[in-house]
Amino acid sequence: MDFTFSPEHTALRRMIREFVEAEVAPIAAELDREHKVPYEVMRKLGEIGLLGVCFPQKYGGMGAGETGYCILMEELGKVCTSTATNVGAHIGIGAMVIHLDGTPEQKEKYLTPLSRGQKIAAFGLTESNAGSDAANIRTRAVREGDSWILDGGKVYITNGGYADIITVMAVTDPALGARGGVTAFIVETDWPGFSVAREEDKMGIRGTSTAELVFEELRVPHENVLGKVGEGFVSFMKSLDMGRLTLGAACLGGAQAALDWSVRWAKRRRLFGAELAHKQSVQWMIANMATEVEALRSLVYRVAWMVDTGQPFTQLAAMCKMYGSEVASRAIDMALQIHGGLGLTRDYPIERAFRDARIAEIFEGTNEIQRIVIATNIFREHGVRIRP
Amino acid sequence: MRIVVVLGRVLDPAGIVVNARAGRVFVNREEYLLQPADRCALEAALRVKDELGAEVVALPRSPLPDDDVLRQALALGVDRAIYLTGEGLRQADDAAMVRALKAAIERLGGADLLLTGATTLDSGQTQLGPRLAEALGWPQVTAGWSLKVADGRAQVVRQQGSQYVLVEAMLPAVVTLQPGSLKLRYPDGARLVNIYKNVGEIAQALETWDAVELVGEPLTPLVEGRGRDFPPPRERGARAAGSAAEMAQAAAAALRQRVGR
Repeated sequence: MDFTFSPEHTALRRMIREFVEAEVAPIAAELDREHKVPYEVMRKLGEIGLLGVCFPQKYGGMGAGETGYCILMEELGKVCTSTATNVGAHIGIGAMVIHLDGTPEQKEKYLTPLSRGQKIAAFGLTESNAGSDAANIRTRAVREGDSWILDGGKVYITNGGYADIITVMAVTDPALGARGGVTAFIVETDWPGFSVAREEDKMGIRGTSTAELVFEELRVPHENVLGKVGEGFVSFMKSLDMGRLTLGAACLGGAQAALDWSVRWAKRRRLFGAELAHKQSVQWMIANMATEVEALRSLVYRVAWMVDTGQPFTQLAAMCKMYGSEVASRAIDMALQIHGGLGLTRDYPIERAFRDARIAEIFEGTNEIQRIVIATNIFREHGVRIRP
Repeated sequence: MRIVVVLGRVLDPAGIVVNARAGRVFVNREEYLLQPADRCALEAALRVKDELGAEVVALPRSPLPDDDVLRQALALGVDRAIYLTGEGLRQADDAAMVRALKAAIERLGGADLLLTGATTLDSGQTQLGPRLAEALGWPQVTAGWSLKVADGRAQVVRQQGSQYVLVEAMLPAVVTLQPGSLKLRYPDGARLVNIYKNVGEIAQALETWDAVELVGEPLTPLVEGRGRDFPPPRERGARAAGSAAEMAQAAAAALRQRVGR
């Protein structure tokens, strides 16, 4: 057993840290305050290859594997949850479906510009009547000669307002339901029939675009069917597994940052004649945070290693997402408590982190859904099939 | 055109905590970066390469325990990197290093421009560039803020007193760059992964040369360490009290005692 990072991953982390400190940290507060998407950061990330961190070099990627991708998300998560979310929606789910199930032609055409950041991706699953209940989607796709006509819409689509390419899930056979009746499509957003209906104003991750999308007689050529007709649900679930792991990695970064701020403040702040570091109440909070952060780190990078070595990881990815989001929320809550009133002010990044952390317990499948995934897997091993 | 950049490493200051009260330095994360000034020299070389086309070759500025900084340089865009090794190199001082570097440049078939940092972040070393220029018999411009190459000359802006002046040197020349003088580029992701994994074309770009064989004789350092000697601990001063006259008397008495009269 060996828990050390390989030389390329150590060098990659150094490169990412340098980038994040110079390009992301200075604008993180502004993105949140001004409700702005970090277009420029996305472009620069693409230029140096980081938006293709886990994709093959053949398609413009870096070839650093899922471990490399987790490192990117951890380092971004330390500084700016919004930027991490933009990147996660782009690589982790939007482009990931093409990477996992695209044909060589589709990868050449779409994955290459996505890896280099020339195009931005989004993942179109959630609808007003189907979020966590993904099998209940209503967007319809009807075959017409060499193409499919899409009608319907999606809500809460991260990157939806500015993405160039959206992987969309639509019903192709209502009789068959989720298994067999749902197909994934690659949609270019400048095609006629595509429109952005509204952008959400949110409590957290304000540096992201969360959009409602409308498809009206949107014509998609048959060659843009992703994977096989009727197997879209399976494609999307595989992609979500990857997304859940790397969301856990972003939460690890957020929790680590909360711990770092707390230690720094506890060293400086004096109260009743001694620094906070000497108060047992603060020591216990720091000890709890540090333990949870380390447990999460072990989980995240072990699962990344499992992905890179081709082992099944669905249940563990759900744990990464669920545990990661809860560890981050707890750590940031404790950091706020340690900082007192100061933590509530906009002078410190803690109030932003506090608002940003909440969404991680909701998107990419709520934590309740993750518990269902985990329990279903456990009971299946014992011969019990859980009914939803 | 061939540009040689001479690069060194420094312990990442962000990984260190200095506890002044305990008089100790804690190394939390032992990671080495390119010397900031050397990184500027590398950036200057890559800009000349982008503009005019050139082969950029990286060499180490001091004996290195591993080739990591050279891999960093390859990821950033140098065409070739030479790791110098060999018996006796580990103790090499600047004088020995200059001999090794001069021999390496000759083995390369000469160069048109040699760039390196004007100073090092940890030891404040400034002499490697000038010494190399002396050894090679090339003109030198030190502590530059920017560099351009045109008409067979290096044009360097440097600070002189309170103003900036443009200095030109005929090529081949040695130019040293100030830390923080240029906006740095990031490495290319795929190059970085390949050079650290030792795969692809770029893996061929890193060579190892034996410095002793290169020079043809032992690299005896000019300076030899024979031990450590610290100044004696300082005596504490004494505080005199009373009227001005009494204090003056006490001070005079203390001084007399100290000089032994």
